[in-house]
Amino acid sequence: MKPDYEKQLEARVNEELKALGELAAPAGFASRVMRVIEQRHFVPWYQRAWQTWPVAWQAVSLVLMLAAVGGICFGLGELLTAAGSSQYAKTVGGWFASVGVIWKTLGVLANAAIMAVRQIGTGVIIAGLVVLAAAYAACLSLGSVYVRFAMARR
Amino acid sequence: MTEPQQFEAFLRDYQNMVFSTAMRLLANPTEAQDVSQEVFLRAYERFGELKDSPTAGGWLKTVATNLSLNHLSRYRARWSFFSEMFRPDDDGHDEPEMDFASPVDVGEAVEASERREFVEQALKSLPPVQRVPLVLYHLEGLQYDEIAAKLGVSMGKVKTDIFRGREALRKKLRLKLADEPA
Repeated sequence: MKPDYEKQLEARVNEELKALGELAAPAGFASRVMRVIEQRHFVPWYQRAWQTWPVAWQAVSLVLMLAAVGGICFGLGELLTAAGSSQYAKTVGGWFASVGVIWKTLGVLANAAIMAVRQIGTGVIIAGLVVLAAAYAACLSLGSVYVRFAMARR
Repeated sequence: MTEPQQFEAFLRDYQNMVFSTAMRLLANPTEAQDVSQEVFLRAYERFGELKDSPTAGGWLKTVATNLSLNHLSRYRARWSFFSEMFRPDDDGHDEPEMDFASPVDVGEAVEASERREFVEQALKSLPPVQRVPLVLYHLEGLQYDEIAAKLGVSMGKVKTDIFRGREALRKKLRLKLADEPA
């Protein structure tokens, strides 16, 4: 492309765009913004973003939060130390008993799935996967066409 | 005058500028309104500093530009894969050509306001990959390197996209140039 052409093009497009001026904001835009500001004004401070809280409350909340985190860490440490004792070990073991049941159920389901695959045969499974992939590709293509079409119409 | 009243006057002074910036970058009135609203909500939080500042307009424009670009990258990234999928090249040739009146053909008869509307529509019809750098360069006055930094792309890509955008705009507006390519 000729440099002269590029310069002319830039100047011409610049001329057109610079002549545009400002677009008018929609009627009622200012009222809408003022309404939102008013609504925010009536929201109590503790329901607003933490950064906008009064400084004293920010400090108090920070101290409380640090105390809570410290408490949790201390509590966990104590729990782990006491975990060796039989009473706590039984309690913790009880929590994991339900996990064991879920694990067994999953194992049974996996066995059932393996048996089903053996019965059906790999050919049918591969054909099913091919159909699934084709359906997925069709959805992707159709979705892309629709989005493209919708964007072109805007 | 109370502070909310002062802010409302400030808002009315700058609303067109902020809305124009957002609208030309986003090409969607609803999204442009949402972004403009967010700009003014942020301005309200800093109104103490902004109300007497001579650079308030610049601050608003920068925030409007940044929020619009954030909006584009955050909410439209998921669509870009689809929207770019069937684009054979980046100059929007696969989009239906708009039938704009040529200034040469119609000459003086075309009102300036109608012409501006045609240009606005042509700009709006460009794909974001061309429209955004074009607006940042010609309307926001940013340099190629600044645009590249803002968009997180190479300067070469910015230059190419802007050139393609200008070309697409030339075709849509049927602009006549002395050294037009064959």
